[in-house]
Amino acid sequence: MFWAMASRGALILLCSWALVARAAEPFGMDLNGHPVEQIVPAGAKAVVLFFAASDCPIANRYIPEIERLADEFAPDRVRFWWVYPNPSDTAAVVRHHDEEFHIRGDAVLDTEQRLTRMAHATITPEVAVFVASPDGLREVYMGRIDDRYLALGQERPEATQHDLETAIRATLAHRPAPQPGGPAVGCSIVPRTAP
Amino acid sequence: MKRLRCISFACICGVTLLCLLTRCAIDAAEAPVTEPVTWNRQIAPIVYRNCTTCHHPGGSGPFSLLTYKDAQRRGPQMVQATQARYMPPWLPAPGYGEFAGARRLTEEQVTLIRKWVEAGMPEGDASAAPQLPHYDATWQLGKPDLILTIERPYTLAASGTDVFRNFILPYPLAATHYIRAMEILPSIPAVLHHANVILDRTASFRSHHSADWKDGIPGMELEVDSGNTFDPDSHFLFWKPDTPVLEEPAGMPWKLDPGNDLILNMHLKPSGKPETITAQIGLYFTPEPASKHPMLLQLEDDRHLDIPAGDRNFVVQDELKLPVDVEVFGIYPHAHYLGTELEGWAILPNGEKKWLIRIPNWDIDRQSVYRYRDPVVLPRGTVLHMHYVYDNSKENVHNPNAPPIRVRAGNRSVDEMAHLWLQVLPVNTPKGGPDPRLLLEQAWMEHRLAKNPEDTIALYNLASTLAGLGHSAEAVAAYRKLLAIHPEDARTLNSLGAALESAGDWRGATDAYTKAIALEPNACDARFNLAELALNRKEFAQAQDGFRNMLRQCPGDAEAHSGLGVALLGSEDSASAREEFERALALDPSNFTALYHLGEAAIESGEPQRATDLLEKAAAQRPGDVDTRERLAMAFAQSGRAGDSRAQLREAVRLAPDDANLHALLSQVLAGIGQLQQAIEEEERALRLQPKDADGWNNLGVLEARAGNSAEARADFQRALQLAPDHAEARANLARLPRR
Repeated sequence: MFWAMASRGALILLCSWALVARAAEPFGMDLNGHPVEQIVPAGAKAVVLFFAASDCPIANRYIPEIERLADEFAPDRVRFWWVYPNPSDTAAVVRHHDEEFHIRGDAVLDTEQRLTRMAHATITPEVAVFVASPDGLREVYMGRIDDRYLALGQERPEATQHDLETAIRATLAHRPAPQPGGPAVGCSIVPRTAP
Repeated sequence: MKRLRCISFACICGVTLLCLLTRCAIDAAEAPVTEPVTWNRQIAPIVYRNCTTCHHPGGSGPFSLLTYKDAQRRGPQMVQATQARYMPPWLPAPGYGEFAGARRLTEEQVTLIRKWVEAGMPEGDASAAPQLPHYDATWQLGKPDLILTIERPYTLAASGTDVFRNFILPYPLAATHYIRAMEILPSIPAVLHHANVILDRTASFRSHHSADWKDGIPGMELEVDSGNTFDPDSHFLFWKPDTPVLEEPAGMPWKLDPGNDLILNMHLKPSGKPETITAQIGLYFTPEPASKHPMLLQLEDDRHLDIPAGDRNFVVQDELKLPVDVEVFGIYPHAHYLGTELEGWAILPNGEKKWLIRIPNWDIDRQSVYRYRDPVVLPRGTVLHMHYVYDNSKENVHNPNAPPIRVRAGNRSVDEMAHLWLQVLPVNTPKGGPDPRLLLEQAWMEHRLAKNPEDTIALYNLASTLAGLGHSAEAVAAYRKLLAIHPEDARTLNSLGAALESAGDWRGATDAYTKAIALEPNACDARFNLAELALNRKEFAQAQDGFRNMLRQCPGDAEAHSGLGVALLGSEDSASAREEFERALALDPSNFTALYHLGEAAIESGEPQRATDLLEKAAAQRPGDVDTRERLAMAFAQSGRAGDSRAQLREAVRLAPDDANLHALLSQVLAGIGQLQQAIEEEERALRLQPKDADGWNNLGVLEARAGNSAEARADFQRALQLAPDHAEARANLARLPRR
């Protein structure tokens, strides 16, 4: 009984958060030019934003890993978004890129870099994990996906720490998500306004 | 030709990860740092000279840096990559060897890039912009003479660890060609870190993987069987993204013979999506065979590669003393993921230390062959040193094992290697001495055996080298030593037979070949050698039996058919011999023996056109064979092609300047086309070599007489008569001369 109540409570929280998250301005645009006003579907336990760039080789190398995690956590109602913050990643470019890399997840063009600012992302690939809280979206994890890339030129043959996966698991278990063990490595996000 | 097989060690490895910025050599033309730094004025010249070779659209770099917009997009990364010295990819520390194409940026260049980014990456005045470099997506040197494509497209998985795969490309031509340049089109440049091409002279790797070679064979390193003749690996056929064309120095092309395979070893990096690779190798021919013969030497100590888990400072060393003077053209250090500090140096006989290379932060992903700006001269007695340090701790980010485990030498990426390869050209070789490469091979193999007396490959190669040096007794002893370890090794028994034969012990040789055949009934080489031994002993019937027995076990062997043909010629059965030569040619259109004898037969039967066709092909196979040149000259002469005949004889005389008969023949051909003075000179050369040749003196007299030199002619005829008082032609010619 206790568990059922707690669960119901969580659902209520999510619902209320969803209302908060419906911002006045859309988060971005989808590939058909429609505004994305809602990034958390009802019932989602967590949202992962994967900051991608069609022309960033390290970000592209992580695509299979992100697809794997999206599949793995789909039953746990973890929603993944492929966020494209760079001005050069237009709808046509991203559509072509998604087809080329067989990306099944939903893309959002971060046309105002609202999601980038919200997540505090600076490079691709980086990931942010959000959960609902009474005050709205709460970022519980921000940073690298794993420890395969340690710096430019410093790459492990295989990852030994799967930071994002660990963070999602902790979040789903209602534990604090461990923070990334090192910086993310990749390509800088290009500011929307001239520097 | 004896059939022996040596085993050569082919090394290959992995290269660059992300080719972010490539090829950064020293740029001279920069404005002082105090001026505002702009793309057009300072940065583009650095980038165009050093980076865009890879970073252009369609290039091997993962993105372009060709335009201002491209570079602006990557500005912060350019700062990071250049400051960390990650890009351009260049591992050797400055001051430890002067390398061609060094790509290390100067401190000033690195600072300029940083200042440009800090200033907001201004584009600057368009009028100051340098010309945009042009890159062609196809062959850099134009259409190659031969393009080889991997048998089946290979699909690289979207993710996972790096892939090391060997693709076999059989050489499809029927004639030998000399390769002056090689180019690789990887089809998806961005996933190919580096590639190595290994020559497999005997297609041994393909025969070991007969079922699945068309799909490529996984592995970082491989061993191939180097075949019948001493023809050691001699070139680094190493490709990396910024050097797509590999041009050999003048006089140093490499050779491809019919039956050879090229093995393309590729280090591939998954891109995030499945990639289908259809790599091609383009080869550019030269008609000139090599005039300089380098070879690859290896220092290694894989036997002592046994690195405890957690060891941060595991050292592996080796040293090798040079038995001859050499020039070092290039160097290729190689370790896998645990190597951290790789050093090579030479201690000269006078005690001077000469650095060959120093890599303070080894990274397999950015490995390369390094070629010296000027060859490094090392005199005989120099000791080469290798000193490698390995880190098998969890702090080593490249460690493929988490947690670290004990690591030994091996072919997989989780194993290790400690190799230092050098391309050396023997110099100051005494005339008439042995092939200096054999002396290098001997020193190398003896050193390997000193490290590991059980190294049977080294023992076999040493024995073969001793045989090649003509040290038959020592070769026999070495083969016997090997047989003491592996008494039933048919290949060693065959080689022992060959060494015994060279030592004049034909009974022992017969015994060894027979044992080899008993152990391995389809030991084709031993069967061939046994038959050929009989042929050399002019035991033609036995030789015929031997070759026929061999052909039952080893059908389709062109050399056996041509050997049988020679044995039949010995029994004066020229019709049957001709049939065998024809069979040999049907199997192998470049079979020299068949071409030669059929050509000779065509001369005898008055078919000069056929003779020239066959003998020209024979000469293409063995350009240095004097007999073939002589026969070809005869065929040309028979066809009335005196000019061609003269050309062949001139080449023959160049090859064998001490052969009096060749000079005499050339003299006759020259006389036939009216070049009397040159004819006289050639006959005189012949007579200097063979002064007691009465016919020669008579011929010289005739030439002098025709040239109107009666006095000289008289003296020549008299000389002929002194040597052979019954020389009728000389006497008649003397009588024909006008009286004094």
